[in-house]
Amino acid sequence: MNREGAETYLRLLAESGMREALAHGPGSPRTWGPAGGRAKMTVVGQVLVMVGALDTETFEEIVADFDLALNVRPLRGPVGQRTVIAAPVASPPAKAFQAVAAARVSMPRSQSVRSRPGDGDTRAGRFVPVGLTVPFHHAGVGGELHLLSYAHTGPGARFIVAWGMRTQPLQHMMGMQRLDLIPFDRFTVTDDRGARYQLDCVLAGHPEWTGELSLSPTPPRDVRWLDVTAPPSFAVRVDLRPPGPAGDEAQVTQTRYSPGERLLIVLAERLLTTAPDAQQLRPGAERMRRQLHPMATNLGDIVAALETADVLSPLSPVPARLATLCASLDFDGHGLAVPPALKLPEPWLSLLAHYQRRKPDPPPVHEGYAGLAADLPEIDGIRLALLGLHHTGEGSSLHVLARGLIPESKPGPLGIDRGFPLSIWLRDSGGRWHATRPADRRWTDGECTARLHLVPPLTRPTDWVEVLASGQSAEVRITLPLRWGYPS
Amino acid sequence: MNERPNDPWFASLPGCEAQLPCGSGRHVVRWEAGELRLADHADPEAELVLAALGGEKARCVEVAQAWGRHAEDLTVLAVGPRGPADEIVVSWEDVDAAAQGGGRGVLPSSGPWPGPPHGPMRLAVPFSGPPVAAAVQAAARRAQAHRAEAEQAWQRRNDMLSLLALGHGFQTRLIGQVVTAHADRRDERDEPGRSSGPALTAALAGRLAPVAEQWLGIDPDQVVVSLHRAEGWGSVELAGRGEERRLLVSLPAGWLARVWAPGLALIGRHLVVAVQRAGWPDARVLALSAPGREPVSLEAHADGGSSGAGDRPHWEI
Repeated sequence: MNREGAETYLRLLAESGMREALAHGPGSPRTWGPAGGRAKMTVVGQVLVMVGALDTETFEEIVADFDLALNVRPLRGPVGQRTVIAAPVASPPAKAFQAVAAARVSMPRSQSVRSRPGDGDTRAGRFVPVGLTVPFHHAGVGGELHLLSYAHTGPGARFIVAWGMRTQPLQHMMGMQRLDLIPFDRFTVTDDRGARYQLDCVLAGHPEWTGELSLSPTPPRDVRWLDVTAPPSFAVRVDLRPPGPAGDEAQVTQTRYSPGERLLIVLAERLLTTAPDAQQLRPGAERMRRQLHPMATNLGDIVAALETADVLSPLSPVPARLATLCASLDFDGHGLAVPPALKLPEPWLSLLAHYQRRKPDPPPVHEGYAGLAADLPEIDGIRLALLGLHHTGEGSSLHVLARGLIPESKPGPLGIDRGFPLSIWLRDSGGRWHATRPADRRWTDGECTARLHLVPPLTRPTDWVEVLASGQSAEVRITLPLRWGYPS
Repeated sequence: MNERPNDPWFASLPGCEAQLPCGSGRHVVRWEAGELRLADHADPEAELVLAALGGEKARCVEVAQAWGRHAEDLTVLAVGPRGPADEIVVSWEDVDAAAQGGGRGVLPSSGPWPGPPHGPMRLAVPFSGPPVAAAVQAAARRAQAHRAEAEQAWQRRNDMLSLLALGHGFQTRLIGQVVTAHADRRDERDEPGRSSGPALTAALAGRLAPVAEQWLGIDPDQVVVSLHRAEGWGSVELAGRGEERRLLVSLPAGWLARVWAPGLALIGRHLVVAVQRAGWPDARVLALSAPGREPVSLEAHADGGSSGAGDRPHWEI
């Protein structure tokens, strides 16, 4: 990695920005606008920090010096006044990509099978697909609790759940959360040895009808089944024994993306999952446009900076794919000097085909949930477990549990989710690919359970899904059969 | 052609001076032969001792201290002027306002430029029991570190503004001094392992590109600059055509101190690439009439020849 080259690139970009400011005035939008010198410098600097080619302190110093240099010069430009309020230096990017770059890959280069779906590997964690519904009714409140999967890891055991309310009681109409109305204290859980457990519900976020039910105390690792009884006396037995082969084994392919390529792929997926929304007149579109614009208009400089830093080969095919993507999404002015690629990765093509289809989307599938569980082999030091799929009127979601992530509470630059550096794609049985975007997550003792929003949502019932999880060093594919449950 | 001059980097720079408010009057600060001199303070070191004992520190003395503190500070290159037409305007009122935390809009609201540090920080956590005590001590250490950092940044901000308030002549001389301090130890790295190469390359590019524009009419963004690290003066070549045209320049970082700072960069349609015999008001320079040509030795003479022309000297062949 050429750290000196990276710093030189950024400092030269700052000089170019200074020249522009001196020519047009320090307060000019050409300096401070989204495509201006400061934005360009900030975006490129953030990218260099993300791949570990530049340290945060140097990046902040360069931006602070740039701001001071502009602020001590008299205004000659047409816009603004002497008091130029410098936009804050964007929060320093996390070390996600650096961590990925440093992560050990324990798998051999050839295909490697580390686990079967829901094989109940007790060393790494125990993940069992459930797919059962528990109806409940108490004090005028009725509904169904859908158990998607059971996960037992270091911090404890929990069910990944979704629930539905059949009645709309007065309390709910008065604004009470649905969760408050579910009589969890009336639920009982008993194991095959007669031990009893308490259920504690934790919301995964919005929508309010998904979450986790943790069991307290934690059941033994070798528990065979759990009886879940809901008021007044509905009971289901959750079989936790290894279910036997279900679906294919996970296929692991070693990949050798450089940190720069990996970052560009993440940027491309960011464009793919948000650009269509940003181009439409819908709530949040303006915010998305503001986030995407500095990225899309500075891609040329981003690529040049990554090449200078020796984290992206000049022979890499990824910039050309990005150029094709920008052209397909009508993003002009990206500054990429390479000719567009003729071939794109299949998932990207599938998503572009979806966006470019002129026909309206078919009506969404019914609300439903599918229990699934698969513990995937490690990718870039991150171990991912798939824990369920559900679909509502608001969209489709994949539930996952990740171990080995670096907690990151602040949003990343360019809208990149620094806390979730893996790419997860899902192919339905109709052959359509769906990208994922983290929607909400919860941390418990170093583990992260997350709900990933599918883009686009499922529009047809699917009998199976192929999940493709990829990072810098490897990609994992697994096909899982689905058995959907539908709320009554 | 490859001779290494023994004369000091500043030999082609005349003295310059500035007036600044100090105490109840206005005092003169002078730069001569590479040093800052306080004309109205006979014994600055004695004044420093008195200030350490609680007396008031004279502004002239503060400025001299700031000069010393920043004589190797690469930020000076990023903030300072890029050429004679690049005007930086910081008044002593701005400096006073910034010192009081006002800033009058001169300073960015972010970055390492916080307001003045306030009084001792109090901890709200009561001291009780070993774990709490440890936590309190850790919090106190963090608070102390934060306060020290804030004080350092505040000092740095005020220093920088004071140095800029001295005017263009002092700004260019300070750039020369900073470059000279780093030019001969380019490969050394500071504590975090960073080298001064990137900052020197950018400083050279930022100041040479406008000169090249004047010289050849080339777009400054088409000027590609690198640091020349070997023997000799370097190279200047033109490559490509149209949009792809590039002026490839490789010069030593010391060019900024010996050529650019004294205003020798462009004389009589020649790009000066080195100073063979430094001096004021007469110097002998090595200059190019066009890219790719062999440099020629020229005698240069500065207008005026007195210290009054010191801010922006004008040289002719």
